[in-house]
Amino acid sequence: MAAQKSYKSMVCPFCSLHCDDLIIETSDNNIRLTQGNPECGKKISRHNINSQSRTSATINKKKTGLTEALKKVKKIIEKKSEVLILNHGTDLSGLRSLLTFASKYHCIIDHITSKFLFQNIGIVQRTGYIATSLMETKNRADTIIIFGNNILKKNPRLLDRILIPDASLCVNPKKKNIILVGSFDKNTINSISRKSNAINVRIKLDNIPDFLKIINNNKSETLRFITKQSLVKINSIIKKSKYLVSTWTASDFSNTKNPEDIISSISKFIVDLNITSRAACMPISGPLADSTSAQALTWLTGFPSRIKYSNNSFKHNRTAYNSEKLIENKQVDTVIHVSNLSENELIMNKNIYNIVLGHPNSKLNIEPDIFIPIGIPGLDHEGIMFRTDNVVSVALKSVRKLKLPSTQTIFNKLI
Amino acid sequence: MIIRLKSGIVYDPTNNIFNRTKDIFIKDGKIINKNNIHGKINQTIDCTNKIIMPGAIDLHTHIGGGKVNIARLMLEEFHDETDAKYDSSSIIAPTTIKTGLKYIEMGYTTCFEPALLPINARQAHAEMADIPFIDKGGYALLGNDDFFLNLLRKKASQSVINDYVAFILKASQSMGIKVVNPGGINAFKFNQRALDVDEKSKYYNITPRDVVTKLARAIYDLGVPHPLHVHCSNLGIPGNFLSTIETIKAAEGMPIHLTHIQFQSYGNNGDRGFSSAAVEISNHLNKVKNLTCDVGQIMFGQTVTMSGDSMSQHKNHKHAHPNKWMCMDIECDAGCGVVPFKYKDQSFVNSLQWAIGLEIFLLAEDPWKVYLTTDHPNGAPFTSYPHLIKLLMDRSFRNDILRELPKDILNHTILHTIKREYTMSEIAIMTRSAPAKILGLSQKGNLSIGSNADITIYDKNIKDIEEMFAHPIYVLKDGEIVVENGKIKKYRWGKTHTVKPEYDKSIEKSLTKFFDKYHTMKLDNYVLSDEEMENMIGSKVYVNECKYKRKQ
Repeated sequence: MAAQKSYKSMVCPFCSLHCDDLIIETSDNNIRLTQGNPECGKKISRHNINSQSRTSATINKKKTGLTEALKKVKKIIEKKSEVLILNHGTDLSGLRSLLTFASKYHCIIDHITSKFLFQNIGIVQRTGYIATSLMETKNRADTIIIFGNNILKKNPRLLDRILIPDASLCVNPKKKNIILVGSFDKNTINSISRKSNAINVRIKLDNIPDFLKIINNNKSETLRFITKQSLVKINSIIKKSKYLVSTWTASDFSNTKNPEDIISSISKFIVDLNITSRAACMPISGPLADSTSAQALTWLTGFPSRIKYSNNSFKHNRTAYNSEKLIENKQVDTVIHVSNLSENELIMNKNIYNIVLGHPNSKLNIEPDIFIPIGIPGLDHEGIMFRTDNVVSVALKSVRKLKLPSTQTIFNKLI
Repeated sequence: MIIRLKSGIVYDPTNNIFNRTKDIFIKDGKIINKNNIHGKINQTIDCTNKIIMPGAIDLHTHIGGGKVNIARLMLEEFHDETDAKYDSSSIIAPTTIKTGLKYIEMGYTTCFEPALLPINARQAHAEMADIPFIDKGGYALLGNDDFFLNLLRKKASQSVINDYVAFILKASQSMGIKVVNPGGINAFKFNQRALDVDEKSKYYNITPRDVVTKLARAIYDLGVPHPLHVHCSNLGIPGNFLSTIETIKAAEGMPIHLTHIQFQSYGNNGDRGFSSAAVEISNHLNKVKNLTCDVGQIMFGQTVTMSGDSMSQHKNHKHAHPNKWMCMDIECDAGCGVVPFKYKDQSFVNSLQWAIGLEIFLLAEDPWKVYLTTDHPNGAPFTSYPHLIKLLMDRSFRNDILRELPKDILNHTILHTIKREYTMSEIAIMTRSAPAKILGLSQKGNLSIGSNADITIYDKNIKDIEEMFAHPIYVLKDGEIVVENGKIKKYRWGKTHTVKPEYDKSIEKSLTKFFDKYHTMKLDNYVLSDEEMENMIGSKVYVNECKYKRKQ
């Protein structure tokens, strides 16, 4: 008998845009995107259960029941002196329970992409900043500057859904100017050109601060990385712009000499434009619930990441609680990896006790001491996650019935 | 379990009880009639020489939502680890946990977030769900959203506007509607830097007066208890009392609540072009029947200003202290701005702001029309309330501080001439019964039989009124003792207050079209259901009754 198919709308948990207009087909708990961007379809299909999926808990490679695994986790945690919870992505309920657990066992908490988070929030903590959200960009932006070249690959629907949509409230999408700063491939430039006016400023990302200085000063001088003609054209577009949006993803700058300097220069450029016109920044966060983590931890502890519970409250230290260093220097004896959203390889240090509350399709560089498969918010259970612009959060639905426990369920059992 | 509060000095303004010694009985979270007690009394608290009041209600305090989290994130350097009782977050942008602890320790049991962006409602409620002890709610922001302004531009009927307002209340699980700088936040997105009450926005060709009139009418027609909550045009600008008065007129006699009115009561007289217009504003407050206000008193010291008024906050960023700030345009819905600020007692302007707030309190003839707020944290953190109460109740204390301020403010304020001292009864009205009344919280702010047993007990033996109000000896929330001898006894979690007036569902068709075409989320994801509130967000919903059935 053929497996029963059903069609449902889905809120996607797998990138920070969290689109909620996807139509999927489920059949025997396999999910296939039937309407939407094929790149998103590929992403979603990677979360289907296959013969390699780990749907049972293991202790030292041996399959075991959930109760046994939890008993073992508790025993280990009670013995160990310094426990790090490394968040690779979970939803709001997961974070709330993770914090309660951390406060009981005096754990350190870090997010795997904290480095990029701190690069972006550094501006808010040091200087002035003007931001915007996805819908404002969709409906109001007449000029968009995209810095870095991976942002569109990482967020497949950013272009069609937000930057050059079919309809905008206040601007004609076809008349939008898209300035691409960095090395963009021809296909990307051509696809943007078909819908709007695209200009590629092919400069090294390290040169962004200099490029923006020249634009800001409105000097018609020629730099070695941009022709005078291009500069005049860009200046003219910016001058005419009524609502300009700058967008980037911090991880694109990770190979530059000074990522924070680049982000600060973009922010300053926007702040200066607002003296006479309107413009705003719209950084795009990563796909591992970075925004969700930063938001929830901030309201609950006062800090967005890198915290430790001690003396009755969470303390923050950006350097001392940097998970990368803690693991590298073996300053923690146990790491609890919480990974709900990605099947990408999870890197563990074999010299530290590793507990993984993981995606059933997790690729692992070594076998962890304990592995507990957990459900994916938005597929296996409901949840709340924050979008990249931090002001919108979405309600994720449950669309398959694998009966995998949520992060919240696991931590609640451990408390 | 039955609790008896024995021989307390009771202030229950709703029931016209002031300074009367009596017992109060509590069972299952409610106040009960002595005659209906059939079982044994499990606990008796001797309240001799103790003042009993209903739990206090803060009707305007920024305690949840995106802007509060931006402030928390921005102001790491103000964290302070000296008091191990609390986490290190600064009281100007406390964590949710610290917010709950500090409020309940002061005897506040219900608080309202006044700037709940519908698009940000999920976050705001999730944050507030993580505030322990207190009940809470929010006012949804309207009047700058493109959907509403489009309705006005197309001259939609009042009935359609009413449907939209009712839909937003339901979708965002809100208790009321607030408008911030009516139309101005939207105009700022089109690069307008000011918008006076009768000035048309360039894009929509609509005036703030149009916005206020339509929204005030909608709230009235729908029977929503809390009047339109208005942050007027021209916030903080010298001479703005004129636009404040015009905003009052824009309500056309319908109920209207002007918030943090201190920031809206500025004249522009004198050498410095800045003076008090508290007398002019108070004359209106005393005269206009359906007008209420909260004050938004400022206190000297460091704080952070956070507002949906991105137009005004962008202007204010030049005064940021420390020098950092953030503004944001949000989802064709609203905006926000977060600017840290230090009110200095030797600043002419800040000192006069302090005096203007107090003038408004002291010139108000009816304490049922004016509410005690600092617009936390914009004027000062909410923990300043006991100090503010002392300023109102103790003239010599007030004048001692006034004497330390720049002398030239005396040319522009009449504060030093005001002899009035608030009574305990008036404080009970303005912090309990009056906010409950204006919010339509029939079971709060009073000690009637059947009301929630949210009760604060103060020690009358404490002679310093500030100290007494800062540290009640007992606080009961829903009949449970949560503070005993000034110390937290038990954590508990409050609920979310909402109103849900009826509306014609056909508005959802227009909204679905708008969402599908212009929004970045589907309408059904935008709506917060009661189930989501309880199961995912983490707070049960309590639906308050509307005053009457919808009029149109």
